[in-house]
Amino acid sequence: MSTTPTSSIWRGTTLLAVAAVVLMPVILPSPTLATEILIFALAALASNLLLGYTGLLSFGQGVFFGAGSYCSALVMIHWHFGLFPALLVGILAGALTAFVIGALAIRRTGIYFVMLTLSFSQMAYFVAYTMSSVTGGDNGLLNVPRPPVSVLGFELLSLASPLVFYGFVALLFLAVFVAARRVIHSPFGSTLVAIRENENRASAVGYDTRQFKVLAFVLSGAITGLAGALYALLLNFVPLSNIELATSEHILIMTIIGGTGSLLGSLLGAGSIVLLGDVLSALWPRWPMLLGLALIAVVMFLRGGLWGGLLDLKNRLIRSPEPPQPDTRQKDAAQ
Amino acid sequence: MSTVLLQTSGLGKAYGNFHAVNGVDLCVRAGTIHTVIGPNGAGKTTLFHCLTGERRPTSGKILFDGQDITHRPAHKRVSIGMARSFQITSLFQELSVRENLRLAAQGRDGARALTFWRPTEARRQHLEIADQILERLNMTARANTPAGDLSHGLQRVLEVGMALCGKPKLLLLDEPTSGMGIDDIPLMTSLIAELGKEHTVMLIEHNMSIVMSISDTITVMSRGQILVEGPPAVVRQDERVRSAYLGEEG
Ligand SMILES: Nc1ncnc2c1ncn2[C@@H]1O[C@H](COP(=O)(O)OP(=O)(O)O)[C@@H](O)[C@H]1O
Ligand SMILES: [Mg+2]
Repeated sequence: MSTTPTSSIWRGTTLLAVAAVVLMPVILPSPTLATEILIFALAALASNLLLGYTGLLSFGQGVFFGAGSYCSALVMIHWHFGLFPALLVGILAGALTAFVIGALAIRRTGIYFVMLTLSFSQMAYFVAYTMSSVTGGDNGLLNVPRPPVSVLGFELLSLASPLVFYGFVALLFLAVFVAARRVIHSPFGSTLVAIRENENRASAVGYDTRQFKVLAFVLSGAITGLAGALYALLLNFVPLSNIELATSEHILIMTIIGGTGSLLGSLLGAGSIVLLGDVLSALWPRWPMLLGLALIAVVMFLRGGLWGGLLDLKNRLIRSPEPPQPDTRQKDAAQ
Repeated sequence: MSTVLLQTSGLGKAYGNFHAVNGVDLCVRAGTIHTVIGPNGAGKTTLFHCLTGERRPTSGKILFDGQDITHRPAHKRVSIGMARSFQITSLFQELSVRENLRLAAQGRDGARALTFWRPTEARRQHLEIADQILERLNMTARANTPAGDLSHGLQRVLEVGMALCGKPKLLLLDEPTSGMGIDDIPLMTSLIAELGKEHTVMLIEHNMSIVMSISDTITVMSRGQILVEGPPAVVRQDERVRSAYLGEEG
């Protein structure tokens, strides 16, 4: 049901997300790998707001990610912005590019909408490529600092240690996770689902569906911009590939493999793909072929993605004492 | 004579050279049930689409409640008091019946649903409207069923309920009984008759016994134009109408 009690955004899947965030640095070989997973989980979660909840397949995600990376890195390098102002710049850059691309692309629907986001993605790549004096072009933007956590000029905590930086990213991730659940269970979020289900009916009952889609884009872009900014801090570097079409594809694949319409699925999707890449790229340079196979398998056999698959498994193993809920689909969507 | 709620003058909708609606002057009085009949392809649904803003008219004017709404988009006609049901069922199939109705009630407040920082249940009034309508439709027991799992007849009833949630002044119902089994039709007929007591209703309907029993005014359309208009007794007697549509009934 859509009527989740207010307090529940702090329980349920949020607790699972906290558990995952605490366990990851313990289980995984390095905190850096865990940090990368959380950063892409943020990007996948943002893409899920569009794809899973609003039904919009956007290839613009890499643009928002790249814009967040470049803008936050540039203000740190040239204007010596501190940590939080730089992150804010990344968030705003993502939100602004998403506003522009979203507002133009949603003037069309279906395949034409998708093609428009693709074109914008290509354009953004060429802009970054040709403005090499600003972006470093092919070489990337080098020597990105990682400023300490500071308040009013007082340095509180250095983020130089990979584990401390992981902790910082983890806190941001959890904050966004809870905020995203609030969005999903808001009047706005329920309207996004209505638009996904039947846009025509949504406008017939009074919603200006374009407004809702644009705001969904802006929120998605803001979170993706944050992820991009954190990625620049993690690598101390902004590769041109951040704004490539491949980054959009990567984020979309994580979203779909993890499970659309479930935020925890996005963490699962980002986790499995980053890990798969880390393990396999050392063994076999053609590993992205496996990614393609995994995507085909999920689309054909596991419509709810990995998270949906886990839920099914759980339901099969533990026979729930309650009678089956008639609106399970929506329950899953509300995770 | 009661006041006029909806008025069109010279309303037209052309698709290329083809005039689906052609110079329609319509006058719907407040508090009446006004039915539009006519053969398939007469332009009834297109007329409704123009009235609700689903399609842009290519000529003419629409006045609703004294305002010129000819070029207003569909979503902006809800807050001034228009709501509709569709000839082809159009619901949020995977959402529960109650959520369908709640979303319809929330839509009446339009852009206020953009609040993404508040919990859904902070807006109690929408759930209350949904629950009232559920009761009115006699569907409280089905509140948690996904709309797509309802029988066709109940989906048609929910289709009307969605329009009711907008608390409209004018309720536009496009063939509410279409595809309904003979057993479900009386349910819908009594629902519409009851709604007619509180709302102004515009109705497209093929079932002549319903049309003749509940309408205050009947407009007969043919080839995009108004053929005859008047109370049931007059329309029933009209030669052109008799030959065209009421032939079998005598
Ligand atoms: N989008 C469209 N493009 C072209 N012709 C259309 C379109 N929509 C409806 N028509 C035509 O307009 C005429 C009236 O259709 P409609 O309003 O659905 O009639 P009714 O509801 O009275 O059966 C039909 O001949 C239909 O084919
Ligand atoms: Mg029709």
